[in-house]
Amino acid sequence: MKQLKLAYSTLMAKHGMGATLFVAIAVTLWVVVFITLPQLSMLDYSFRFNLPADQIGTEADHYTLEQYRGFFFNADGSLNSLDLMILVRTLVAAVVVTLIDVIICYPIAYILAHGAKEVAARLMVIGLIIPYWINEILRAFAFRVLFGATGVINTVGMQIGLWDAPVDFIRADVALYFGLSYAYILLMIFPMYNAIEALDHTQVEAARDMGAPLWRVHWRVVLPVAKPGIVSGATMVFMLTAGALAAPQILGGPSSLWFTQLIYQWFNESSNWPRGSAYAVMLLLTCISFVLLTMRVFKVSVGEIGK
Amino acid sequence: MTRNTLFGGAYAIAFFTFLFGPLVIMVITAFNSSRFPRVVPWECFTTGWFGELLGNARLMDGLLNSVIIGLGVVALAVPIGLAGALALSELPARLRAMLYTVLILPILIPGVVLGISTIVLWGQISRGLGVGALYNGFFLTIVGQITFVSAYAMLVFIARLQRFDATQTEAALDLGATPGQAFRKILLPFMAPAIGSAAFITLLASFENYNTTVFTVLSESTFTTALASKVRHGTDPSLSALAVIIITITLVGALTNEAYQRRKAAQAGGPSARSPLYANPITQALTHPGVVFAILVTVIAGLSYAGSRHDSSVCEAAVLQDKMARQEALRAAQQEKIEAQQAQENTLPKSNSAFGGAFGGLGGSTPAPEPVAPKPASPSAFGGAFGGIAPPQSDD
Repeated sequence: MKQLKLAYSTLMAKHGMGATLFVAIAVTLWVVVFITLPQLSMLDYSFRFNLPADQIGTEADHYTLEQYRGFFFNADGSLNSLDLMILVRTLVAAVVVTLIDVIICYPIAYILAHGAKEVAARLMVIGLIIPYWINEILRAFAFRVLFGATGVINTVGMQIGLWDAPVDFIRADVALYFGLSYAYILLMIFPMYNAIEALDHTQVEAARDMGAPLWRVHWRVVLPVAKPGIVSGATMVFMLTAGALAAPQILGGPSSLWFTQLIYQWFNESSNWPRGSAYAVMLLLTCISFVLLTMRVFKVSVGEIGK
Repeated sequence: MTRNTLFGGAYAIAFFTFLFGPLVIMVITAFNSSRFPRVVPWECFTTGWFGELLGNARLMDGLLNSVIIGLGVVALAVPIGLAGALALSELPARLRAMLYTVLILPILIPGVVLGISTIVLWGQISRGLGVGALYNGFFLTIVGQITFVSAYAMLVFIARLQRFDATQTEAALDLGATPGQAFRKILLPFMAPAIGSAAFITLLASFENYNTTVFTVLSESTFTTALASKVRHGTDPSLSALAVIIITITLVGALTNEAYQRRKAAQAGGPSARSPLYANPITQALTHPGVVFAILVTVIAGLSYAGSRHDSSVCEAAVLQDKMARQEALRAAQQEKIEAQQAQENTLPKSNSAFGGAFGGLGGSTPAPEPVAPKPASPSAFGGAFGGIAPPQSDD
């Protein structure tokens, strides 16, 4: 409180009454009305029954754990392994996509920060940004064109005799993994680049002069500097992949659902909002605890994200 | 070292191939007349998919909705983001870290969760207050998107604020300006370019968003949600045509911006100042960003005009003719097979015929053609489809 007062008085002295009021009102509105209240309201909703509108507020409308029980157990009391497996598979897939992105983006971030000349670096940055301009849906669509049964990869593969019948890349989720790794490349490269750029290139040269092989230079000199950037990028890619909805809907095989699709179904197909809210709370909790755990392991703070 | 450079270059090329390959292929499919977006087999060069795209009423309605929502989001998210950045700049370290975590969280929270929580909260509020007007797709989408789009704006402002020289404000205050004047005359003008780019980024983020919008937009649809439902329910190359339009706009923007940056660097006396392009008055005029932009727009307008006059119907008719001819050939081959089989059936005793048993009760004396038999033998899908049509004619 005291600190808030202090901040308030410095703002007043520096920018005046109008600006201070504007900052105070806008930030309060953002934090309370847009960020906190909706989440609380969703949490509240997830502890209620799915009632028709005229019964809301009557005595039938009381708190219950029913929705969460529905997530963990089937009606007959056995474990709801179907939905639990979908959650686990979504998280595992998100980890795999994140690792793929770390591996393919690290060399580019390094080249961008230390290898490329001025013009080449600027061209590379433009080249990285342009695909990101294209709508997310269209990027997924591009992979469908590429991997479909009559897509380019199947046609070429069959023509040069690699395989005889069209391979169903969509069903095998190959297209989905490619599409998701592709979608968030930019979010991985820029934090990585920012971190690596801070490294003085003479350190790399010194290590090389002392006779360190290339892999050791990266392992001992570059990676420790790049770590906050990697963790920050990986966090964003992981959260966005686990929360992706469009790419799984467009590129996912018919037999494998993403957890967000399950939530979508509860809301839009079953019209069971409390159950959908409970599933959303589960997704949020698992993702956030997973990220916090990983950050603890790598000793990086949340404040690094977005820099 | 050269070996490493070579490897790095090769890797960069492979990486950018991965980045641009899908886009290039998508662009090519926009001009193929095949109903499914594909490159091979190439049928005809056509510009018809652009017309089909513009004629899609649902997408065009969505476009209008997206613009309305986007303007609303920009109008609210930019001031909120600015307020967030200013608040962070004045808070003591501990509180700042806390507030930063809270404000950055909406970027990390899955969009699905943001969308759901928004409709749940405002659904309850409008029920509680009895105000149905709050519960509409436009309002909910704007509110839902602001939650995280403001954070993007805030990141832009934070980066700009870090370069702000606070002594300027102090000087103004010392010289007798009121704090309000200092804010309006010094800080705001300094932030102006950041306000521009923040507005741009928030507009783009709002326009592109799917995960949150698909929940909050309720029964309306935005451009992106209309697009997604189109992709999910079958694809056709008009979507590739849309990609061509977006990529073209992006490239024009990127090239104009590049010309602008180079000119600025040249005026500042950077390495590009030595470029002969800036010594010659004609090339100097040609590399002016405005001229670059005008040239690009003219070229595109010319190409679009030429494209709109291009008529691929002759070629498409030829392809259709070709398909029909192939089907005809298949049908003829099939008929021959049937006749051969019938001839065989007639010469053999009835009991030996494969179908004799099944059709005996239906009056086996007529030489009933069996449409089922030749079907599996037909080598193509067309053969299969026409197999059902061919046999009735063989009755004659």
